[in-house]
Amino acid sequence: MAEMLVPKNQSLRIIRYEYRLIFEKKGRARYISHLDLMRAFQRVFKRADIPLWYTQGFNPHAYLMFPLALSLGIDSSVELLDIALVEKLGFEELRDRINAQMPEGLRILSAGEPVMKHTEIAAAEYVMRIKTKLTGEETVKAFKRFLGQEKIEIEKRTKRRGVNLVDIKPHITLISCEPESDEAVIAVRLPAGNEFNLNTNVVTQAFENYLGFEIDSIYTTRTKILTKSGEKFI
Amino acid sequence: MKEIKEKIEQLLLKTQKPARYIGGELGSVVKDKDKVDVRFAFCFPDVYDVGMSHLGMKILYGLKNAVPNYWCERVFMPEKDFEAHMRKNNIPLYALESLDPIRDFDFIGFTLQYELSFTNVLEMLDLAGLPVYAKDRKALTPIVVGGGPCVCNPEPMADFFDLFILGEGEEVNLELMRLYEKMKPSCPTKEQFLREAARIEGIYVPQFYDVAYNEDGTVSSITPNVPEAKPKITKRVIPDFDHAYYPDSFVVPFTEIVHDRVVVEVLRGCIRGCRFCQAGFIYRPFREKNIDTIERETKSLCEQTGYEQVSLSSLSTSDHTKITELLTRLSDYTDKEKINLSLPSLRIDTMSKEIVDRIAAVRKSGLTFAPEAGTQRLRDVINKNITEEEIIRTCRLAFSEGYQNVKLYFMLGLPEETDEDIKGIAELAQRVVDLYYEIPKEQRGKSVQVSVSASTFVPKPFTPFEFEPQSTPEEIKHKQGHLLDNISSKKIKVSYHQQNVSVLEGVLARGDRRLSKAIYCAWKKGCTLDSWDEYFRFDLWQEAFRECNTDTAFYANRRRSYEEIMPWSHLDYMISRRFLVNENKKAHEAKTTRNCAEGCSGCGIKKECGGVYCG
Repeated sequence: MAEMLVPKNQSLRIIRYEYRLIFEKKGRARYISHLDLMRAFQRVFKRADIPLWYTQGFNPHAYLMFPLALSLGIDSSVELLDIALVEKLGFEELRDRINAQMPEGLRILSAGEPVMKHTEIAAAEYVMRIKTKLTGEETVKAFKRFLGQEKIEIEKRTKRRGVNLVDIKPHITLISCEPESDEAVIAVRLPAGNEFNLNTNVVTQAFENYLGFEIDSIYTTRTKILTKSGEKFI
Repeated sequence: MKEIKEKIEQLLLKTQKPARYIGGELGSVVKDKDKVDVRFAFCFPDVYDVGMSHLGMKILYGLKNAVPNYWCERVFMPEKDFEAHMRKNNIPLYALESLDPIRDFDFIGFTLQYELSFTNVLEMLDLAGLPVYAKDRKALTPIVVGGGPCVCNPEPMADFFDLFILGEGEEVNLELMRLYEKMKPSCPTKEQFLREAARIEGIYVPQFYDVAYNEDGTVSSITPNVPEAKPKITKRVIPDFDHAYYPDSFVVPFTEIVHDRVVVEVLRGCIRGCRFCQAGFIYRPFREKNIDTIERETKSLCEQTGYEQVSLSSLSTSDHTKITELLTRLSDYTDKEKINLSLPSLRIDTMSKEIVDRIAAVRKSGLTFAPEAGTQRLRDVINKNITEEEIIRTCRLAFSEGYQNVKLYFMLGLPEETDEDIKGIAELAQRVVDLYYEIPKEQRGKSVQVSVSASTFVPKPFTPFEFEPQSTPEEIKHKQGHLLDNISSKKIKVSYHQQNVSVLEGVLARGDRRLSKAIYCAWKKGCTLDSWDEYFRFDLWQEAFRECNTDTAFYANRRRSYEEIMPWSHLDYMISRRFLVNENKKAHEAKTTRNCAEGCSGCGIKKECGGVYCG
């Protein structure tokens, strides 16, 4: 039987054209998990008949790469998706063909050539709209006091050492913090990427613990993905 | 209702797989409420992952939404975590497309696919903010309707439903909605509407029938109590199956569901007549789709959904009269498009090797056979015409192609079963293992695994075994032990179902109206999601049966006479009582009955129903 085991993808094409797509994920699409997003895009490309480049092997699959995962429940208009095609397509044509097949809440904003490497991603910025039983102004004040603490320790579980405390304060950069009617609108920059990643829900959870009561609602939007030097990742 | 949406959004972040509760999938149909006259909430009484895989829902969803002024939406049973959030935050059960509460809909329809989903129906009605008993829902709407295979004996659920739809739903659903649309402007009472509905062929309104009982507990009579109710309600059949409605689009979920692929129905009904199989009788007659139609539907659904897998659906796909041509054509298309073609319920022995190779090329995962019984004698009793020779021949072919896993499905507790038959299961499994070692080393795979699955036989209505007693849990325990005692190879793995599940299934399957009380009581005690091992609480069910004075043995473990009036005797699934009795007698004599393709055996289905082999 050994000689029967031949990779299916015999007509493999070596030449591939790489594209970086920037897309938005919002509304109902906010609740699509990272894994599900991968599947959703594969189906979108299939429907749009995009000539994707397939990997070699016994189980060939289309090459799709999300350089920076987005936590479930967060809106964004700066999400990245890298793909490779076997044919060259115009940026606008690619964008429009994909968008014609997208489900509600997902939309390609632009398509282009990848310029930077994934490893250059170092930070991301977020806007959080937080509503508590306090007024917007009071929530803003509470958040500032929360950030003014000497340390903001959270419990982190690791496989080897069990639970230990980590101070996240040095990693949170506050950009702005203003009340807007009954909400506090807070913009922060947090480390992102392969080396060290801090999710907004870790911050909001720590804030909730600090408050000592449940937060009513949080809407978070990712607004920027940045390199180490603070440039926009492209 | 903006408020519901906002509430849900915050809760979803604390919920497992939240995409199941917010809708917005590709292919979901959103209409303008103000331009819609009839709203239908199609409820699948199990979680999203299961319900979204159900083909019937896809068909009826597309069918109803194809009418511009009708809007059909999907509703599923929430998992326990989200359900707790809903209750705590006063979120009523809502439909996924509009996020509107379903209590405001015109129709709420449940599909009853298995008995163990019954308590979920009560839970969903309650979550919707509605009384679970039909008699307590006094307003015209929502009209709570039920369909699906369990409706062939809906009696245990009769008190909770306004009406049931018998048989195939493609025509009768629209007839019912049209009647409602016509009557709605005159503001009829619920009774006025139900009386008119009862005139429609295939519609059964349980409150219009009085059931009387004998002293021994059996049914003595089932009598209509309004002139509109027919003494017998006949199931609906689509005679021209090739031209029956089939959706050209599916809702494509974000989260992975059980059957996450394009499904194309290739035939309906079954020619085989296995005596234990309810589907084999209630879906008769055997009708098939033209292969051009199948090919067209496959292509259009693959294009619309973007799925990379397509599966052909039927009770026995290889019984299609043009199966080879069909598979050749379909695999030409799927190969080109890098789509995986999968064929459940396929009898490989009837097919050419070339076709098997083309289809099996992708993954050599395993082969599955359902001999159902361990000896030829017992297979004759149940009229399962698969021979040991066929199994061995196919396994030999498969092993020499590198297959390593074989699954064998059996049932324990079949009529006429002896310890010898159970020993036969072990022997058959051993023969398959031995066969593997007979194949030269360089041809066969690295190792072999034979999985034996032994489930418990549950007698079902409208089968020749509807008269049979179900084995008691003690008998089954003995049989399972006997099976294990006879297995000696480590290459054979045995698994069986949770015994108490089969007990409950057996009681509910052939129960009568008096069981409604016990179902209500079990649900009140907290029984929901009974088909999930982790949630199944047999202790609570037993308490409920005790409190309601229900003798479970009366329903499950008693032999019923050929003359007995069954709780479902007023429902006509076109299979004659005479035929079932005759088949039962033949079973006890271990005599087989030919399949429909070999010649008609006179089951009672009329020629007009469009059966390929009828008449």
